[in-house]
Amino acid sequence: MSVPPVSLKRRLALWLIAIVAGLGTLLLIEAYTSAHKAADRALDGQLAAASLTMAESLQWPDGQPTLEMPASALQILATQWQERVFYWLQADNGRLITRNAELPISAAMRRAAGHHPVFYDADLDGVPIRLHGREIDSAGWDTQEPVQLWVGHTRRGRELLAGELFEKSASRFAAMVLITAALLMIALRALLAPLERLRRALRDRHPDDVEPLALEVPREMREWVDTLNRLLADQRDRRATLLRFIADASHQLKTPLAGLQSTSELALASPDPAAWRRALGEVHDSASRTSRLAGQMLSLTRLRHLGPDQERQPLALDTLLREVVTEWADRQESRDHDLGLALACTLPAWVAGESWALHELLNNLIDNACRYTPRGSQITVTLRDLAPGRLMLSIEDDGPGVEAAARERLTRPFERGQRQDTEGSGLGLAIVDSIARRHGSPLELSAVSPHGLRLSLTLVRLDPPDSAPDTHTPDTGAHA
Amino acid sequence: MSHPQRQRSAALARLCLSLGWGLWLGLGSGVPSAMAEPLIVEAALDRPVFQPVLDAFSAEYPQITLDYRDSSSLEADRRARDPEAPPDVVISSAMPWQLALSNEGRAQALDSVEAQHWPAWAKWRNEVFGFTFEPVVMAYRLELASHMLPPTTHRDLLDMLTHDRDWLRGRVVTYSPRDSGVGYTLLQQDARYTSRIWDLVAAMGAADVDLAKSTQEMLEGLSAGRYWLGYNLLGSYAMVWAQNHPDIIVQVPSDYSLVLMRMVFVHRDAPHPEAARRFVDFLLSQRGQHILAGSTPLFSVRDDVIGPYTAQRLRDQVGDHLYPIPVNATLLAFVDPLRRQAFLRRWDRELNILSE
Repeated sequence: MSVPPVSLKRRLALWLIAIVAGLGTLLLIEAYTSAHKAADRALDGQLAAASLTMAESLQWPDGQPTLEMPASALQILATQWQERVFYWLQADNGRLITRNAELPISAAMRRAAGHHPVFYDADLDGVPIRLHGREIDSAGWDTQEPVQLWVGHTRRGRELLAGELFEKSASRFAAMVLITAALLMIALRALLAPLERLRRALRDRHPDDVEPLALEVPREMREWVDTLNRLLADQRDRRATLLRFIADASHQLKTPLAGLQSTSELALASPDPAAWRRALGEVHDSASRTSRLAGQMLSLTRLRHLGPDQERQPLALDTLLREVVTEWADRQESRDHDLGLALACTLPAWVAGESWALHELLNNLIDNACRYTPRGSQITVTLRDLAPGRLMLSIEDDGPGVEAAARERLTRPFERGQRQDTEGSGLGLAIVDSIARRHGSPLELSAVSPHGLRLSLTLVRLDPPDSAPDTHTPDTGAHA
Repeated sequence: MSHPQRQRSAALARLCLSLGWGLWLGLGSGVPSAMAEPLIVEAALDRPVFQPVLDAFSAEYPQITLDYRDSSSLEADRRARDPEAPPDVVISSAMPWQLALSNEGRAQALDSVEAQHWPAWAKWRNEVFGFTFEPVVMAYRLELASHMLPPTTHRDLLDMLTHDRDWLRGRVVTYSPRDSGVGYTLLQQDARYTSRIWDLVAAMGAADVDLAKSTQEMLEGLSAGRYWLGYNLLGSYAMVWAQNHPDIIVQVPSDYSLVLMRMVFVHRDAPHPEAARRFVDFLLSQRGQHILAGSTPLFSVRDDVIGPYTAQRLRDQVGDHLYPIPVNATLLAFVDPLRRQAFLRRWDRELNILSE
């Protein structure tokens, strides 16, 4: 199942929706409560006004409070929404003066109204109402009896008013959201334009074009484009390297082939069978050299095209070293050299590596050392502890050494350190470097005093597997 | 189920529905008692006057069996408060009491088109609707005119009562505010417009005014020759009476004339709410109002109704000094017991103030 690609626009829209929904809920709740508060404030004023009008009409003709209900007070109470209106008038001694409904007024409400005017939400036969109560003190000739006056009405107008206010805030909010969304979409379009330009620039590029991108982009995208340009530069370099390698390889192959051609032409021109034989010998030698060259080119190419970490297994490097050095000690090529092995580290030395690659690496290193040093030179392969968990494998000779400037280039294919006098292919160190890099560190070249060259690489030590033999004390290898 | 099938079954359902409807209609008109839907109307409105409207309603809704209970306004109010047997519809000219019933939550709001479009000045909370437009008038015997200039304004009446008190003694009649809700309302409204009404009350008291419970009683007294002059009669009844009794003259006061409206509402606990709503809708509809304007003297409120008895025609005839009793919360003050007591106390005092 393929995951559909994410859309920035959709993500932003989702974020916007989430924010608007969250914020909107809060805002709408706030708008709802404040609308109700505002409606209550506005209409509580009418309750108070009606109460005041009634209080004005209150009289104590014979020491008894009485009220000729003012019609205007009821009209004020009813409001423009034609509420049902209620009033309730009681003397402090509990004697009811007049009322038009049995209002749900508790003793606590009455006490509160005794101190200051109060407003309550209440319920009359299942209908929500708003009540306002206050106490009226009035001087009389016979009594100074206070009177409690409660007025109330249904909440229809309040609901309508609150609904109207809420609707207004809600529609304002909705308009705001829509405008924000529209602006955001426009902004998003503008913001994504550089990305679009970049996409176009990349798509319209020729596959062979590895020139850096020249594109005006915002600061935030600069790094992106820089990375891309770095990638392109790398690509360019690799391409150049590859082209050079191919050119060099063709050149390297061309020389022996030209030699073969001229040798065979000369031999063909000669009637002497001895010359033929001699030429055949030369042809044979040249063919084996060329074959070896081709083989090395193949292994270099293979190394560079292998994926990382392929076939890496734990192996005992010290054993491998012993095998290889012993093998070399028996060979014709090292006959004139003093080849030695120094295992100056905790043994056994296990590393994660590709056996064939490390073989190749050692073979190349020793072959190289034998090839490019004069007879009688001392060549030492050394393995030593570098730091906890790290091993350094090095090979040094006391030959003439290589100048610092040339050392840098030695690991490139077909470099021979200004030495054109040997039969080497010029690929040995390039192969070694590739293998070293595959094992975690580049090949390092340094001078040995008073003269000579050291090539070294670092390897990561592994814990020996359970079946490994006990640790040896380091021993010093004898020179062959 | 596939789409065409669904369509077919829907069509079938429609067919069944229309068949059922036709059957129901057939039954409804053919055997009214079988499908009878009762409707209890508690009304302070004389049945003979209202009969044409009731007949038209029954003709339009034959399936509804009308139980029309004619009574006084105070009796109608009492029955509307009876929790045991609430009526469906309450009609009364005692406007404050009708409003008080609504204020107590005993009316239900109507949301029909007729109710929504009813003029705002003639309804309250979409619950109580004033559906008639009845001017309050003076009436006198023809003989009165031969002795003196008949009164056309309240001031004329006061002057006449002051100057010819002895001659008119015992021959003047008006509503008893104590025994009649309508009479009380009219006098309260008079007193709201001007306190000089108390001078008139005092003058009537000095002339030993007779107090009646209904317009009918006053009209009968006038025709019998017991009274020569009546004050605050319902114009609707008086005008019809005058048509049949040429010795009675009806005078719409030319300074100001109160206009009373019959208020109708559907009771909250109406046992037959559907029929009740239909009845009120009919009263408010153009057809109902048309019959009101043509066959009763109750005067239609609607502007789009043409007939001898319409508010518009009345305005054209008597000018713009018609003052409908406002349908709003101020009426509720009239039914406050303390206010009523104080008012009636004053009435008693003023009535006897000149005799003492």
